Amino acid sequence: MICDQCAERYASVMVKQQQHGQITELHLCDICAAENQSINIVFEKDPLAIHQLLSNWFPISKASINPIRKEITTCPSCDFTFSNFLQLGKFGCPSCYDEFSSQLNEIFKRFHNGNTEHTGKIPASYGTTLKIKKEIEELRKQMQVSIQGEHFEEAARLRDEVKMLSSKLEGGALNGS
Amino acid sequence: MAVERFLQPRASSWMANNGENVDIAMSTRIRLARNLTDFKFPYSFTEDEALKVDKEISSVLLDKGSELDYTFSHISIDELAQLQKEVLIEKHLISPYLAKTQHSGSVLLSQNEELSIMVNEEDHLRIQSLQSGFHLQNAYKIANELDTFLEKNLSYAFHEKYGYLTSCPTNVGTGMRASVMLHLPALTMSHQIQRLIPAISRLGMVVRGIYGEGSQALGNVYQISNQLTLGKSEYEILQDLENMTEQIIQQERKAREAILLNSPSTLEDRVCRSLGVLTHSRLLTTEEAATCLSDVRLGIDLKMIQDMDMSILNELMIFMQPAFLQQYADNPLQPKERDFARAKLFRERLNKKEINSEGEDLA
Repeated sequence: MICDQCAERYASVMVKQQQHGQITELHLCDICAAENQSINIVFEKDPLAIHQLLSNWFPISKASINPIRKEITTCPSCDFTFSNFLQLGKFGCPSCYDEFSSQLNEIFKRFHNGNTEHTGKIPASYGTTLKIKKEIEELRKQMQVSIQGEHFEEAARLRDEVKMLSSKLEGGALNGS
Repeated sequence: MAVERFLQPRASSWMANNGENVDIAMSTRIRLARNLTDFKFPYSFTEDEALKVDKEISSVLLDKGSELDYTFSHISIDELAQLQKEVLIEKHLISPYLAKTQHSGSVLLSQNEELSIMVNEEDHLRIQSLQSGFHLQNAYKIANELDTFLEKNLSYAFHEKYGYLTSCPTNVGTGMRASVMLHLPALTMSHQIQRLIPAISRLGMVVRGIYGEGSQALGNVYQISNQLTLGKSEYEILQDLENMTEQIIQQERKAREAILLNSPSTLEDRVCRSLGVLTHSRLLTTEEAATCLSDVRLGIDLKMIQDMDMSILNELMIFMQPAFLQQYADNPLQPKERDFARAKLFRERLNKKEINSEGEDLA
C-alpha cells in the first residue's frame, strides 16, 4: 500500500483517528508518520506525570469516590475543587487536605503502598499540641464512661480537666511553649 | 552579584571523592519539602503571596543562619540570565522547575554548596543537602538540623494524620526524598540492571538515569531514591535505602570481578581506548564523553589507570554539560562548537594530575 500523504513511499504505519465520533484511517510511510502531529502529541506527553496517573485512576466523571462529599468538594481557602486536584495532580493550599480528606485515603494508598498516615518527624510545636489533643481525647472517653456509670462528680472533674487543657491549646501551647 | 561565585567552574565539596564505597556511590542527596501554614501553595498563590513567602523564609536564613554556622547567599531567580540558571541546574543547586517559575522565587546557597534551599519551587521550601559519596545519615542530619531551626522561626503546614503537607500527593508525610547516585558500569554491561530495576521498584524505591528519566542511563550513572513518603519514618526510609544501596554495590562489585576474570584484556582495551578519546579528541559529544568517563572511572577503580584523580572526573561530569561549557567559553556555542569546547576542556583537565581541595579555576 502507498502512503496516503506523500503517495510515493510504501505505507508502514496505520493511524486511526476518532473525531466527532467518526473513525478515519490513515496509512503512512515511516517518514510521513514521524511528521504526523497527531502521533507525536501522544508521545510528547510524559506518561508518568502525576496528574495523568491521577486522572486515569480516578476519572473526573467518577470523581466523587464518596457521593456524600460531592456537593462540598471545593476548598474555601483556595477555591480548588476536587476535580482541579485530579486534573493537576496538585493541591492548592494546606486546607485542601482537610476539605478533600474523605477522598484522600484511596489516593494515598495507591501512591504510598497502602499507607495513609504519617509516622515520621513531628515539628516540636505540633508535638506539644498533638500530645495535649490526645490527652483530651482520652479524658473525653473516660468522661463518657463516668456519665454512663452515673459517677457525676468524677465526670465533672474530668470535664474541668478537659477545659483546662483546651484553654492551654488555644493559648501558648500552639507556639511550642 | 552573589551568584557569580557559584557559577565558576570549580568543584563544589559534594563533587569531591570522599568516603567508603565512593568508587560506586558517587554522591548523596536529601530533599525535604515544606510549606508555610498561612499561604496557598505555589501552584495557586498570587505574586503578592509569593513575594511575602520569599521574604519570610529568606530573612530567617539571612538574619539567623549564622546560628547554624552557615553563611547563605540569597539569589533571586528572576535576576538570573537564562544561561546562569542553566549552570545552577547542571550543578544540581536548583531544579529545572524553579528556573521556570512564573512567580518570585529564590535559592539560598551555603558557601560550600552542600546546602541549597529553594523558595517557591513546587513547595514554599525545598531544603536540599548534598554530600560526596554514600552518606545518607550525614546528609539527613544536616538537612534535619536546618529544618528544625527553620521550624522554630516559621509556621509549617503540618497535619496530624498526613504529616508535612505538600503541593503534590507523592511528597506528603515526611516530604523527604533521599537519593544516592551510583556508577554501575558492570551491572549495565552484563544487562543485570534490567532485572534489578523492577525488583527495586517493588520495594518502594525507584531507579532512574541522572540525566533524565529515560531507561538508558547516560554514562552508566543511576539514581536510586525512595518513592514512599507516607507511612514510614525518615529513619526507616533511610535504612531501607541504605540496605538496598549496599546490596546494589555488592552486586556491582561481583559483576566487576566476573568481567575482570572472564575478559580482562577486552575490558582493559575498552578502558584505555576511552582514556585515549578523552585525552586526545578534538570533538566530543555529551554521549561519548559520558560513556568514556564511565570507562575511565571504572579503569581507575580497577587500578588499570594509575595517577589520575577521581575528583577531576566528578567535576568533568558536571562541567561537560552545555551551559557550563558556554559559561566557560563566555560565549553562546552551537552544538558542534560545544563538542569542540568539550574536547578541549577534557584535554586540559586530564593532563593535570592534581587539583587543590579548594577547587581551582579552569582559566
